[in-house]
Amino acid sequence: MLLRASLVSALAAAVLSGLASASAAENQGRTWAQVAKLPDFTTGIWEIPLGPDAFKPQAQPALTPAYSARLKAYNDAKSKGGEQDNPSANCVPPGMPEIMGQPYPIEFFFGPGQVVIQQEAYQQIRHVYTDGRAHPADPDQTYNGNSIGHWEGDALVIDTVGLTPDTPLGLSYGLRHSAKMHIVERMHLTDPDTLQVTTTIDDPEALAQPWTTTRTFKRHRDWTISEYVCEQNNRNLVDANGRAGIVLAPPPKDQ
Amino acid sequence: MQNWSSRAVRLAIAAAAALAAGPALAHHSFAMFDMNQEKTVTGTVTDFQWTNPHTWIWLEVPTAGGAAEQWGVEGMSPNFLERRGWSKNTLARGDKVSVVIHPVKDGGKGGSFVRVTLPNGTVMDMMGGRPRPAQP
Repeated sequence: MLLRASLVSALAAAVLSGLASASAAENQGRTWAQVAKLPDFTTGIWEIPLGPDAFKPQAQPALTPAYSARLKAYNDAKSKGGEQDNPSANCVPPGMPEIMGQPYPIEFFFGPGQVVIQQEAYQQIRHVYTDGRAHPADPDQTYNGNSIGHWEGDALVIDTVGLTPDTPLGLSYGLRHSAKMHIVERMHLTDPDTLQVTTTIDDPEALAQPWTTTRTFKRHRDWTISEYVCEQNNRNLVDANGRAGIVLAPPPKDQ
Repeated sequence: MQNWSSRAVRLAIAAAAALAAGPALAHHSFAMFDMNQEKTVTGTVTDFQWTNPHTWIWLEVPTAGGAAEQWGVEGMSPNFLERRGWSKNTLARGDKVSVVIHPVKDGGKGGSFVRVTLPNGTVMDMMGGRPRPAQP
């Protein structure tokens, strides 16, 4: 009897948990009522803490032979005092995936069928459509790409394609990805104030196999996003040959 | 305030910029600065530009011959600094300050900000301020 009761309760628990996960899986945040039940990404803003792990090398990607050769050529040139290629020195945003790894906060906005992620750095916005649409058949190539998302339980999964090959792969300024790069991010709260973002990059031209890294953001409930107009007073530059420069002319006295 | 020293942060950002180690590429490379050298510049603040993508401290520095040189020091952004104890009023025109920099490699009169000693003795680095060190 006791055994039977515990079996029944175990079964009931299994059914209930199955229902719970099914019902969570069904919430794609497509109405305001559903949005209200999503995990709380939207209170406060998020920053990668400047701790010892913030900029530590992670798993390095397995490059294809062609892209290995590109990286070697770049590093050889750099070791001889050559190229210091860094388009963002001219205030061009780094695009995906690097825009998610800046030393500046990000903020989430949830609405029915859409998640918006603002990056303070370069004042970038990512629109992630969670309304069930597919990617366009032939998307334009842009810095942040075309993103669609869905919820798997408490995890937001974002799929991004349509990325301009003018931006870095993330390994080095000197190594850019191809237009075929495809990024899948999985974002979930590991505690109320910690957001883990696992990023898997697939690029059949650049990468011999998919490359997965993890970034951990901390919530700052009392911070707000500040303005970041990179062109305001940018005195760094990179010239057409990839050489870094700096403008040391003082501002006018009366400015 | 922060467990991690500003030097370690700066070096990590520089390393990320130079080697693109992992998750972050900074706004610009640090190729133009000698990150292994520190130089102290002492003078009068002529301007403190609380601007993106970087703050700039402009100093008039007296020379031995009685003339004055203009120096420019590039710091972190106001966005980063305002969350770590700085404000647009941390420095003001006319302040007499000492600034430690990583100088530019080409011998120009400028560098990358390391820390500043304010007129009241407070030492500020990119992670915030510290009281004046005890005098020996």
